[in-house]
Amino acid sequence: MSFLVRFWGVRGSIPTPGRTTKRIGGNTSCVDVRWGDELFICDAGTGIRELGSELMASAAGPLTAHFFFSHMHWDHIQGFPFFTPVYLPQNTFHVHSPVRGDDAFHKLLSGQMESRYFPVAFRDLSAKILPQDMDGTRKEIAGVRVTCFEQRHPGTSWAWSFERDGVKVVYATDNEIDLTLPDPAAVERDPQQFRRVPPGFVQFCRDADLLIADGQYSDAEYPKKVGWGHTRATTLVDLAIAADVKQLALFHHDPLRGDADVDAMVSVCRERAARFGHGTFIFAAREGLELRIDGRR
Amino acid sequence: MPDFEFDSGEASMTSLQPIPMVRVRTFTTPHVLEMVQGPDAPRTFELTGDRLIVGRAVTCDIRVPLGEMSRQHMRLDRHQGGFRAVDLDSSNGLYLNEIRVKSAVLRDNDVLQLGDVAFVYHEGTT
Ligand SMILES: [Zn+2]
Ligand SMILES: [Zn+2]
Repeated sequence: MSFLVRFWGVRGSIPTPGRTTKRIGGNTSCVDVRWGDELFICDAGTGIRELGSELMASAAGPLTAHFFFSHMHWDHIQGFPFFTPVYLPQNTFHVHSPVRGDDAFHKLLSGQMESRYFPVAFRDLSAKILPQDMDGTRKEIAGVRVTCFEQRHPGTSWAWSFERDGVKVVYATDNEIDLTLPDPAAVERDPQQFRRVPPGFVQFCRDADLLIADGQYSDAEYPKKVGWGHTRATTLVDLAIAADVKQLALFHHDPLRGDADVDAMVSVCRERAARFGHGTFIFAAREGLELRIDGRR
Repeated sequence: MPDFEFDSGEASMTSLQPIPMVRVRTFTTPHVLEMVQGPDAPRTFELTGDRLIVGRAVTCDIRVPLGEMSRQHMRLDRHQGGFRAVDLDSSNGLYLNEIRVKSAVLRDNDVLQLGDVAFVYHEGTT
């Protein structure tokens, strides 16, 4: 068995429809991760509308799925009210909060549907939408080990890892890894030098067969965006190398970045990985892509 | 003496007739798969129909009789006016622009690789 991963929205911050983003796609964050019949949904940006349509077309009976949110910024929740399966009473959705005894994600999700913002009230959604918390930082759902890691982002954000039978997929978006470096200023003094990401996050991503992660900024852009909560793509490459990641999907593409710019970003990252002699395969996440992730052991 | 005159007056709007939409001619071209590497390349295949199979078997819509191709290697499904490519659990996999994929919604100029055979997908106008 393997994980099946589908990208429904890969854009950061705001949807960007149009000619220049047609190939990569303009919908905001949404990825689904499946193991057999188990469905895990990472974030509910505008890409989730299309996932909803697909599930409506393919589901034979009642649907159960697990939601894992990185955080509650708009670009990660805005599609939720347009996710059609939540309007059907036979369906069940578990909204997992990373903190024990916490239902904050569930509360914030319902908050965006308060009457002045949206015509349908959260309580009128017919599906069962249940808050779940974490017993510590890990739990097991139908044999899949789910763990989370607190990241650096305004208001905080969480990375999620899904593991089973030696196969590992990590979803880690909206994370300013650069601010966690022991000496962030060293990067500007010598951008070519390998950047040592703190061991906690390296360990969390260790041996991932697929790491889907925010690498929103180029080296040139980042100095003007310090504190905005996103990482230099090149720093992400160094993390992937340190954690011996097999495949790295650049995610949360900047809204200003057209398809050709994303390609250029991938090239820069591949050159960097090659310079450090690491074989991690780097590519840009794009809408409508489905990957089968097998273990390497 | 110029053979035209500048009109300094206001244009009369009353005579303007809107062109009905039905009189607008539209041009459609089919989506095409262009084999850029493989037997007898370059060759092009117009993608008509809603579902096509590419592979080694004689029953395939696009047949490529090479050993590294699976009997049924890839399926193309019509999807939102274009096509989605699906790997049919082939032994050598399906690659989209170097990425090994289970399936992918195709965009203009995508490169699909099946074994040693490469296709470029050209989006038509619909
Ligand atoms: Zn975001
Ligand atoms: Zn954010």
